[in-house]
Amino acid sequence: MTHLINPDSARRVFLRQAGAMAALGAAGPMAVNLAAVGSASAQTASDYKALVCVFLFGGNDSFNMVLPTDAASWSAYSSVRNQAPESIALLAPGTAVNAAAAVGSPARLGGVLPIVPTNAQGRSFALHPSLATLQSMFATDRRLAVVPNVGPLVLPTTKAQYALATHPKPVSLFSHNDQQNTWQAFQPEGATVGWGGRLGDLMAAGNQRAIFTAVSASGNAVWLSGQTVRQYQVGGNGAIRMGADANGRLYGSTAAAAAMDRIVRNGRGGHVFEGDLGSVAQRSIDAEAALRSALKPASDALFGTAPASGAYNANNDPKLRYTPDPLAPATTAFNSLAQQLQVVARMIEASSNAGIGARRQVFFVSLGGFDTHDAQNRNQADLMARLGHALRYFDTTLGAIGARNQVTAFTASDFGRTFTSNGDGTDHGWGSHHFVMGGAVRGGDFYGNFPSLALKNTSNNNFDGSSNQLGNGSLLPEVAVDQFGATLGKWFGATDTQLLDVFPNLANFSNRNLGFML
Amino acid sequence: MKLRTLKQAIGMLTLAAALAACGGGGGAGGGTGPVVEAPEMPASRDAAARFLTQATFGPTDAEVDRVLAIGYAAWIDEQFNKPASQHRATWEATEAAAKAADPTNANAGAYQNGTINAFWKAAVAGDDQLRQRVAYALSQIMVISMQDGTVGDNPRAVSAYFDLLADKGLGTYRDLLEGVALHPMMGVYLSHLRNQKADPRSGRVPDENFAREVMQLFSIGLHELNADGSAKLNAGARIDTYSSADIGGLARVFTGWSWDCPGAPASACFYSGALNGASDPDRQFKPMIGYAGFHSSEAKSFLGRTMAAQATADPRASLQEALDTLATHPNIGPFIGKQLIQRLTSSNPSPAYVSTVAGAFADNGRGLRGDLRHVVKTILMHPEARAVSSSSGKVREPVLRLSAFLRAHGFRSDSGEFRVGNTDNPGTSLGQTPLRSPSVFNFYRPGYVAPGTQATAAGLVVPEMQLVHETTAAGYVNFMRDNVGSGVGAFNTASSRREMQGDFTAELALADRPPELVALASRKLMYGSMPAALAGEIEGAVASIAIPAATGSNQAAIDGAKRNRVNTALLLTLVSPEFQVQK
Repeated sequence: MTHLINPDSARRVFLRQAGAMAALGAAGPMAVNLAAVGSASAQTASDYKALVCVFLFGGNDSFNMVLPTDAASWSAYSSVRNQAPESIALLAPGTAVNAAAAVGSPARLGGVLPIVPTNAQGRSFALHPSLATLQSMFATDRRLAVVPNVGPLVLPTTKAQYALATHPKPVSLFSHNDQQNTWQAFQPEGATVGWGGRLGDLMAAGNQRAIFTAVSASGNAVWLSGQTVRQYQVGGNGAIRMGADANGRLYGSTAAAAAMDRIVRNGRGGHVFEGDLGSVAQRSIDAEAALRSALKPASDALFGTAPASGAYNANNDPKLRYTPDPLAPATTAFNSLAQQLQVVARMIEASSNAGIGARRQVFFVSLGGFDTHDAQNRNQADLMARLGHALRYFDTTLGAIGARNQVTAFTASDFGRTFTSNGDGTDHGWGSHHFVMGGAVRGGDFYGNFPSLALKNTSNNNFDGSSNQLGNGSLLPEVAVDQFGATLGKWFGATDTQLLDVFPNLANFSNRNLGFML
Repeated sequence: MKLRTLKQAIGMLTLAAALAACGGGGGAGGGTGPVVEAPEMPASRDAAARFLTQATFGPTDAEVDRVLAIGYAAWIDEQFNKPASQHRATWEATEAAAKAADPTNANAGAYQNGTINAFWKAAVAGDDQLRQRVAYALSQIMVISMQDGTVGDNPRAVSAYFDLLADKGLGTYRDLLEGVALHPMMGVYLSHLRNQKADPRSGRVPDENFAREVMQLFSIGLHELNADGSAKLNAGARIDTYSSADIGGLARVFTGWSWDCPGAPASACFYSGALNGASDPDRQFKPMIGYAGFHSSEAKSFLGRTMAAQATADPRASLQEALDTLATHPNIGPFIGKQLIQRLTSSNPSPAYVSTVAGAFADNGRGLRGDLRHVVKTILMHPEARAVSSSSGKVREPVLRLSAFLRAHGFRSDSGEFRVGNTDNPGTSLGQTPLRSPSVFNFYRPGYVAPGTQATAAGLVVPEMQLVHETTAAGYVNFMRDNVGSGVGAFNTASSRREMQGDFTAELALADRPPELVALASRKLMYGSMPAALAGEIEGAVASIAIPAATGSNQAAIDGAKRNRVNTALLLTLVSPEFQVQK
């Protein structure tokens, strides 16, 4: 197993503690059993682990992300999705790119990219044409797995059961905000505790500073909130120092800067909202102070590209720029998802630093724009290019810092989408396929039954030909988010009993470990 | 005390109403009591300023004077009757000026910043403050966003959309809903522009996006509500207002709508807004028109209503029936009413407050449903709007924190365009830009519960907290530090200063008297509500900046020190949790 080693910080801590022991009169610090020097050995422990949730906001059309290419499936797929005015059906493997076609169109993208899972279920599969980086991650690096047809479920549910009002189902299906919350916290809007935070609760005692247990590089995410663990948010550029200048002065006065520090931390007006605002400011100031010396700069070769001159500007860093159109490789654009993963990587690299001392961390990053009701070809092609670039960048960076086997990233989304097309896009669905990536992942395989895809009934919008498809061809999930999360949680270090507590519906499913982790 | 005469009784009611207005000490006295004829007058300048914090983009001395002179109700009526600030006209002027300033540059123009700055011009300097504030609130309910690429490419039309909200936002809800449903920018944002009827042969189905969100967000919400905003329950569970089938039925209504076009109803007009090169230059904001050839003539069932199949497809008839059905749904009053309360006065209105506002929506006292002027007035005149407690009010969102500062200190723009620009960046700016929310779900949810907070433990929602995290906390402080110190907006090399500058004359005159300086900041920014402990902190910080004794040649140093004192007083007020809560 690769060790996550930060030799400089470990040495600093050892020397500080050795010096302290000498001051206490202990003889021969070099003879001290390192295992007895508590925290030093913990900080260089090989047992660091991190989960990274890559949330795709809007509901990703995974029908076009992971595709079955066996004849029967492909025939249904092509037929159902080829609709006027703009077919959203991607083209068969091996189809050459057509440089004359519109950007993002299936013709310009060329054929879908074949992948061969270890257990192919008697079928053949492929990825969206913009996911070449993930094709190699799956096939060559073997660090990418696919979990088909995941979604929130209370109980295992068949189509017949779905139709029964008495069969328990998640509430407010197909509603963005409620399903985002359900994926993250198993409750609709208003939830306050997410399963990432709950896993953090279980592990926070092993972290020197609980504040760095659950970290968002995106916005506020309930996934990260535990019963005690609270989210810490950090921007793509790193933590922001509040108020004072580098000399600790505000408008030239150190007293004013000190007053500002006191003022923002607390309310004095007796209003409950004031205290809550103050708490956030406190964490902002205290965390930035710790990160200031702990985080390596983004321009460090591990994470980025130092500019030839001037200050580092993430927008110009080639590592953070992706190619929207493979036929115009010289044209790149900034990828905010890559920048989020850059700061996550910087946090991971610093996790063993004395100022952080984290052994278990959960991270949240996100990309928006997946609600492709229209212009799906163009929009999804761009989003897939961003996703593929960002995940490959993250994997490369984890390799550079020696943390591949200790960090597992996974995708999540509000829901999948309809199989039918509205003319140039899709509407809200339910089950969707997701990726898991990392050195500890049993890559190159699918973990779950890949759904069958059928033709729409002629007389209504149902799909009687498939046991997996509901109205408009939306997928009825076969894998519950509970099962997906529990597999990740088990790798993360939670016990079976703890997992039953964190994942409220896990007890209703017999397979509590999908097996995609080593 | 016994009431001897009816006249005395009325006198007591009047007195009670006046007392309720005094000093904000009243509790939730509201409910649906009789309309009191005597005008409610603010008890003090501070009370008037607090009201204006709810009803405008921030109080100014002039506006406080006006409210004191004529009372709350008359001020509201006067505001309703002021002509609306014109966002599209402002954008067009900016566009023309940009092109005139750089005639050889084909790319010169107003772009998105033109729309954003038109907002700030109206918010900071517009006379129709209440109308603009209501329009801003509606822009957070019936959302379009320039974060969408196509919407962002049509800023002139987005400014026109804001004009629509400002205009119809003080009309009837039914008219507002229709205006929103037919605005091409909404058609782009929620993809019902050029939405086509189903094709049963091929299996194409209509786009459901607008049908879903018009119900979930713009009208009835997800669950059946009582008038007081609470959810109706069936065996302990909330009751869905609509099903997937309702969405499918309603989606059929929103087919066949596309740009107004000289060659309509030609297919080319439907698909591209032009026929043989002829198009309407204002098509991006003129109401969409119905194209029968692309409209579903099938039977349409939604919300318990079934429209029979049409012999000839009739988009207008379908739309009429759909919007009438939505607009008469009993949920609208509590669902939209409560959100308007949350945008203006209070994140956690009592059931009685919501009930009164829902009642105002249902009937304006003259038999009219959905009279938005009456709804807004009811919200602002309710006794609970005057009540101050440890859980009253709301967190000020970043845009309103900045606007309060800009108005309180008389900011003006060298260019006249109020070039605040894009303020999206959470680490260096506000983390919020008007008309640029991340999605149709706005910057924050009405029901947002902030994890791990005292508010949540107390059962309170705090929508605006959804924007608050460790980066925005620091970004806001740093942004305001620079705004207070240097002005707002782009640096203008010609004038050697940022293009928006405030008037700190009154503050500078008090620079050598910290307690008075801080008291002025409290009055201007917090309607006098700054607690003594905070005032003490700020006074100490101000006093720590020495003003050098005059030597005859050090005026610049003296002025600099005074300015730093003023900056300190203002910034420490603006970043305090006390200021950030509008209570």
